[in-house]
Amino acid sequence: MHLKYESFVREPLVNGNKTYAQVTEDICRPIEQKPTRLWYMGFFFSLLLLGFGAFSVTWEVYWGIGTWGINRTVGWGWDITNFVWWVGIGHAGTLISAILLLFRQGWRTGVNRAAEAMTIFAVMCAGQFPIFHMGRVWNAFFVLPLPNSRGALWPNFSSALLWDVFAISTYFTVSLLFWYSGLVPDFATIRDRAKTKLRKHLYGIASFGWTGTAKNWQRFEALSLVLAGLSTPLVLSVHTIVSFDFATSVIPGWHATIFPPYFVAGAVFSGFAMVNTLLVLVRKIFRLEDYITIGHIEAMNKVIVLTGSIVGVAYITELFMAWYSQVVYEQQAFKWRVLGPYWWSYWAMMTCNVISPQFFWFKKLRRNIVFTFLLSIVVNIGMWFERFVIIVTSLYRDYLPSSWTYYSPTWTEMGFYIGTFGLFFTCFFLFAKYFPVVAIAEIKFVLKTSGDNYKREMLPLEEKSVEEFVHIVEHAH
Amino acid sequence: MSHKKYWKGIEELEQTPEHQQAVANEFQQDLPVLGLSDKLLDATTPRRDFLKFLGFSTVAATLAASCEMPVRKAIPYAIRPDAELLTPSVPNYYASTFSDNGDSCAVIVKTRDGRPIMIEPNTLSTVTQGGISARVIAATLSLYDTARLRGPYVNQQPVSTWDKVDAPITQALANAGGAVYLVTGTINSPTTKEIINRFLAKYPGSKHIQYDAVSYSGMLLANEMSYGKRALPTYHFDKVQTVFSIGADFLCTWLAPVEFSAGFSKTRKILGKDAKNATMSKHYQVEGMMTLSGANADERATCKPSEYGKVASALYAAITGGSVNTGSKNVDKLIVAAAADLKKGNGLVVCNSNDVNVQVVVNAINSAIGANGTTIDWSATSNYKQGIDSEMVTFVNALDAGQVGAVLIHGVNPVYDYFDGEKFKKALAKAKVSISFNDRLDETTQACNYAVPDNHWLESWGDAEPRTGYYSFMQPTIAPLFKTRAFQDSLLKWTGADLATDNYHNFYNQYWVAKLGGQSNFDKALQDGVAEPASPTMSGASFSGNVADAMTKASAVKGGAYEVVVYETMAIGSGGAWSNNPWLQETPDPITKATWDNYVMMAPLTAKTQFDAELSGINEVVRERRVVKVTANGKTVSLPIVVVPGMHKDVIAVAVGYGRHEKVGRASTNGQNAFPLVGFNGQTFGYASEAKIEKTADLYPVAITQTHLSSENRPHVREYTLEEFKKDPRGLINERKEELKHFTHLEWEGHEADDPNADFDEEGFVKNGTMYPVHEKPGIKWGMSIDLNTCTGCAACVVACQAENNVSVVGKHEVMKSQEMSWIRIDRYFSGNPDDGDSIQAIFQPVMCQHCDNAPCENVCPVSATNHSSEGLNQMAYNRCIGTKYCANNCPYKVRRFNWFDFNGADAFADNQYEDGQRDDINDSLTRMVLNPDVTVRSRGVMEKCSFCVQRLQDAKLVAKKEGHPLKDGQAKTACQVACASNCITFGNVNDKESEIYKVRYEDNKERVFYMLEQLHILPNVNYLSKIRNAKEVLAGNGDKNNTRDEMANQHI
Repeated sequence: MHLKYESFVREPLVNGNKTYAQVTEDICRPIEQKPTRLWYMGFFFSLLLLGFGAFSVTWEVYWGIGTWGINRTVGWGWDITNFVWWVGIGHAGTLISAILLLFRQGWRTGVNRAAEAMTIFAVMCAGQFPIFHMGRVWNAFFVLPLPNSRGALWPNFSSALLWDVFAISTYFTVSLLFWYSGLVPDFATIRDRAKTKLRKHLYGIASFGWTGTAKNWQRFEALSLVLAGLSTPLVLSVHTIVSFDFATSVIPGWHATIFPPYFVAGAVFSGFAMVNTLLVLVRKIFRLEDYITIGHIEAMNKVIVLTGSIVGVAYITELFMAWYSQVVYEQQAFKWRVLGPYWWSYWAMMTCNVISPQFFWFKKLRRNIVFTFLLSIVVNIGMWFERFVIIVTSLYRDYLPSSWTYYSPTWTEMGFYIGTFGLFFTCFFLFAKYFPVVAIAEIKFVLKTSGDNYKREMLPLEEKSVEEFVHIVEHAH
Repeated sequence: MSHKKYWKGIEELEQTPEHQQAVANEFQQDLPVLGLSDKLLDATTPRRDFLKFLGFSTVAATLAASCEMPVRKAIPYAIRPDAELLTPSVPNYYASTFSDNGDSCAVIVKTRDGRPIMIEPNTLSTVTQGGISARVIAATLSLYDTARLRGPYVNQQPVSTWDKVDAPITQALANAGGAVYLVTGTINSPTTKEIINRFLAKYPGSKHIQYDAVSYSGMLLANEMSYGKRALPTYHFDKVQTVFSIGADFLCTWLAPVEFSAGFSKTRKILGKDAKNATMSKHYQVEGMMTLSGANADERATCKPSEYGKVASALYAAITGGSVNTGSKNVDKLIVAAAADLKKGNGLVVCNSNDVNVQVVVNAINSAIGANGTTIDWSATSNYKQGIDSEMVTFVNALDAGQVGAVLIHGVNPVYDYFDGEKFKKALAKAKVSISFNDRLDETTQACNYAVPDNHWLESWGDAEPRTGYYSFMQPTIAPLFKTRAFQDSLLKWTGADLATDNYHNFYNQYWVAKLGGQSNFDKALQDGVAEPASPTMSGASFSGNVADAMTKASAVKGGAYEVVVYETMAIGSGGAWSNNPWLQETPDPITKATWDNYVMMAPLTAKTQFDAELSGINEVVRERRVVKVTANGKTVSLPIVVVPGMHKDVIAVAVGYGRHEKVGRASTNGQNAFPLVGFNGQTFGYASEAKIEKTADLYPVAITQTHLSSENRPHVREYTLEEFKKDPRGLINERKEELKHFTHLEWEGHEADDPNADFDEEGFVKNGTMYPVHEKPGIKWGMSIDLNTCTGCAACVVACQAENNVSVVGKHEVMKSQEMSWIRIDRYFSGNPDDGDSIQAIFQPVMCQHCDNAPCENVCPVSATNHSSEGLNQMAYNRCIGTKYCANNCPYKVRRFNWFDFNGADAFADNQYEDGQRDDINDSLTRMVLNPDVTVRSRGVMEKCSFCVQRLQDAKLVAKKEGHPLKDGQAKTACQVACASNCITFGNVNDKESEIYKVRYEDNKERVFYMLEQLHILPNVNYLSKIRNAKEVLAGNGDKNNTRDEMANQHI
């Protein structure tokens, strides 16, 4: 008997009586069918949002940044808020695929594909903001260390914005590679099942001639491990560097050593919330409840309550440090952040990010799909406010009271943000239709240890005494 | 020559056939395309064609995709003009004289390639003493105003030739039956007066009426009653010990503010090294509204304008030993203290009341304290204002009665600025012929039959006599841009003169050559711009007025529950062309920091309790202001409330010059005309009247640049009383030493602070306050020092900077979004109890880029677009900037300015200038003539900021180099420094120990030196000198967060 025993304390990662064939069948089904009406509606609505975003950005580029509400005092508003927000969301995928892979967390297999896709789309959305917030976007390439005819003219390597360029582009590249390499065996599966020529051809190209030989698999595993190793530090570094955009400045409320861990925790927090939002929908729409189980959702929710508490501690630490510093500018900055004209943004942040995740201490709520869905949205609203609070409420009342002012976004800024939702969901709808949303190959790895039916086969073993069990294990073939 | 042969190999030596073949073959190795090479060359599109295709398609794609670039007209000098007159790109400077209805100012006009682009003060004038005002500087923009008339008009229609106006006008004047009236502003030009006399002589019975929109009739008549002279004396503010001003804003708008601020600043200079014996003048102010002078006063109290007579009488009583009771304890206290000071000598009392009786009392006081002959000079009178209100009123009545044949109007605009403009307009229609010389189709010109536009003063010959015997000359700096004609020439023409020979220019030359005794004297005078008496004398006058009667009448003036003051702003004045000057419109008012509008200034308490317009800590959130209806003298205007601490609780103030007709210019239409609120008491106009105020449900947005009013007890402004400073001059040094001691020395180096006499160790702070290596700064290191004691907040520097550096105007809508672009701003902080107008103190702090040596903006720029020069300048490479705005965020002074839109048409997109109507006219080819060619016009999307006028610094260095000596101190001056009438900006090379800036900073005034936000170790190159108030106490916190005196800061308003 081939023994793949996993403790019954762990719940199955795949529900139902699944065979390898069944797994393939379930996951490939949406790809091989005509899309539903719901898909079309969703897709075209996303396109509409994307179109509006493109219009807003065109308007801004044509007329100038002045069409936004930012001003001499508050130089960054919704643009960088959205940037940091999207980058934060983009953290979950790599965390799930890389760090959890290294930690051998089996449950990641159900969610990693969608989470990685989300990461890539979120980083694409995030990238729009630093590009189009430039006054002269047509010169955006100045940030690249390109050889040029202007003498030895380099970008400024001591600028955190430049570090951002490298951090985000590296992160995007590695995430994309990681995601795509995982997709290769699954594309091959679809190719092999394809009934139309076009599908066979396209998935054939996409699967790079995967044949499923042992050598293929060996290399695949090696690559996964290398990429996981590469991405692990990136998960921590990207948001650390994004936090440097603020932490290396002289502005009270920005200039804080706590920022890197605080930003990373916040990023994981918002990323997991976004993964939850999407998975709850995907499992429902594509009937993948057997693969993305309540257990998955609960695991995600545990991470949310942990990271939510970390950011809560960070918020309170910031307030404490401001008071403890006895520096009037620090103290006032936080006073105006909490009690000034932007009080509502601070308290929205506190409520959504610190108070609401605490409900996840209750197992019943962690395993409640509707509650999870609602809370995942609340958390992302809260995290948006966190970035808004950090950026805008640090700037609007800084050193010299003469320059204090207020900032409200205009329709172009909002349109830009809405447009990135359009971009994100357009990509996600295409992904859900054309790509296997759950990693087929990886599910199969865990199916026989963690699949419901296989676990049930192990039930008799549970009845055995320890001596008998040891005997079986030792004589297992 | 030898016949040695060199060979590269044995093959070459032997010339093998293989070798010969190889040499013949150009490509000795096979082409990388190997077997294809033959085919490739024979292909239908061979290799060479490929390049053609590539080239063609690239060009085609470029042409198809490229935006059409706007064509800019730049016409080179094909034939070089007179080399002595003009070298392209080398500026010429001409002395001239600004002149605007009696206001005059000796100036130097900088012209580039024949265009006047910058106006600077003429330091040779002892009248203005090197001072200038925002309005004078902004005149270049008015020259290029698109709303100016481009030729004569008949009945609102342009006509092509002068004959078409001259012939009918001459006819009409002849038929006017002698009832010809020439209405002008105050004329203080001797030659123009001659021309006018000649014109009046031609038409017997004709009259010249001088009319001042904001008049000083009350003073003129009072002086006639008191001294027998209908004239204004010369006030010597540079000689005063104590000045007591009753409502007169002599630092901003009253009579001759340039002359007065320049003079007064001399009495406000304090040297730290002489601290123990420091003296400065003392400035008392009693007023109804918050004026700039009030904001700068040492001691201030408020009363209603109707009580000015009472205040003057009480002051007279206090000086002559009587009892003081004005009904306000604060005012009484002030009067008693002031009386004692005034009696010490060199006192001066001024008052802005246009009430003859009040001015008689003021004269009596000045006489009693011996001001005549010490601070008031009657030997040379001031000629700024000569209009007598009643003459104008009589004329309007005659006009209304149909008794006037012809009206000629020059410079003034009675339909707009006469207190009963409606009546004037109706009456004007009854005149047989009406002619306007105004430069645009303003309200009055629209009602006239003929418009015969006068030249702009920058296009004119002329002169001015601001003070009797002190002449100031005007010469054209550009040929008339349009088909306009000098006012004097028009008058001459209509006397029948042949302008070819008998013209104003000829007359002017003859007049001055004769008067100055020869052509060379005149040439010199013209070059200097001024001719002044060699040894000025000073004399008093004896008071012979009936003071008792005046006091009774002045004290008996009845006030109202509310009173409205109609005032001129620093920028717009009484209107005229200034209303359509975007530079001035966008210059924040010194007190309210509002732009583009007029409004009702109101005390916080009144606004809060009566009109639902609270002054609170979240002012910056709400741009919408409550609108109230103000009714005075039977007329009503509806305007938004701007709450201003320091106003008397029952006094409101409304500025004139706003709410103009759209033909005056698109920038001028905001706000309402406040002139109808002016009253007439049968003798003089009254600029303060009883008013009724009604709250409305309307709101109106006002564009205010600084919405937070208090300094929050923060230490970026420093002020001390004179007493405090004398007692402990080193207080500030010790405070800096204490604050930064951990950074000035390393722990193991010992404690420099142990030596109580040591100065702040700036060098140690630079070196030890950082973990990075310190750069040596040899050669030039530019530095600036700003004396907060003499800065009055007048904003001349703001406009000078705008003119010099091509700083964009952004329009009201953008100012409301805090997207303004000014490179230098004047921060104004109030302290005191907002509910008690008497307690308010104000401080002004000009802030521009501080050129930090350790600049936080520099290290955050991803592309190094902002970087540091070896001379200590924080500089911008506009071409490199991509506009991330990180530098602006990271600037603790918030002085960096972003080009939010294509404000200058410097963009790749052709038609994307944001259209809100107010800025359009500043971007066409006419208005763009005002741009300074030495300064890059920034395109949309780049950051900009103060450059310390780097173009001037470079120019000065080049001049010094050509002259063959190191740069001399004072050779390089920034535009703001030159424009400052009170001389509060010192600039120069800090490494030069002989320089003024070095002396200020490290020798003469080191006790008062502080740097804003010094503790950040960003090492700014701009320092400030603390403000010393000659007052009992200072309310602001100076960094003491437990300060309870400043209620404004405690309420976070």
